[in-house]
Amino acid sequence: MKNRLKVLRAERDWSQADLADRLEVSRQTINALETGKYDPSLPLAFRIARLFGQPIETIFDDGQA
Amino acid sequence: MTSSSSSPRLNGARLAQGVAGLIVGGGLGYLVGRLLKQGDIDLSGLTWSDSVAALIAVMLFVVGLILIAATFHRGLAARVMDPASDRPARPAQITFYRQQAIVLALAGVMMAAPVAARLAWQPLSSELAGAAMAAIVALFLVQTVLNLSVWIRADEMIRQTVAEAGAICFWVLQGALFLWAAAEKLELVPALSAWDMMTILMGFYLVISSVISVRRGLA
Repeated sequence: MKNRLKVLRAERDWSQADLADRLEVSRQTINALETGKYDPSLPLAFRIARLFGQPIETIFDDGQA
Repeated sequence: MTSSSSSPRLNGARLAQGVAGLIVGGGLGYLVGRLLKQGDIDLSGLTWSDSVAALIAVMLFVVGLILIAATFHRGLAARVMDPASDRPARPAQITFYRQQAIVLALAGVMMAAPVAARLAWQPLSSELAGAAMAAIVALFLVQTVLNLSVWIRADEMIRQTVAEAGAICFWVLQGALFLWAAAEKLELVPALSAWDMMTILMGFYLVISSVISVRRGLA
């Protein structure tokens, strides 16, 4: 699944570790999300959406739209 | 900003881990070699699964020891556990890393213990075997508690990696076990012992979990 996590993070000048701290996950998880190696659980997707103040579908793209 | 690509620092951290592994592993190899040369231990009675289990046990123990040592320095712990990290490990991370390291080291000790006991005491009396088994059960209980603690502290990707590795191992090995059992019943292949099967399971799990971890950037 594609996502805009890296762009949203870069806009705020956060490192992967900064974002990991805010989401209470490991930095490796952020890296895996950004590189498309891991799809988040629904609870984590909601936490990401709330953190960036955007709907889930504007952050994640399953290619079906 | 943290880079996700392979960097000189990342390669340096991996190289340092490899060198540390060679030093500790080499030291253990030298010690075993000396004991063999002096005739203090006799490996002639070892089965293939004893040898493989001993190799896996040494690997687990050595990696566990290296990681435990690394957790006494916050910067080193971060580099060893997450080479691309741009900051020292926090106290909570240190505790988490240390628990993982102790779980690995204990797994190594428990795997080596039955083989080592049989090598050290020949013949092995029932009293000594009972004492060794009691020690293994005690270590197993401690390791189980630590394993549960690691699972609770781990984030969702680590948990999913463990769950996926477990699922793949179950589906592949239950099929392999069925086919081997059928062939064994038909007297086409030799019988496997519980120790043989445990060794295959542990080796296969380590390979699968390592592959999944590397693919997700965890290792």
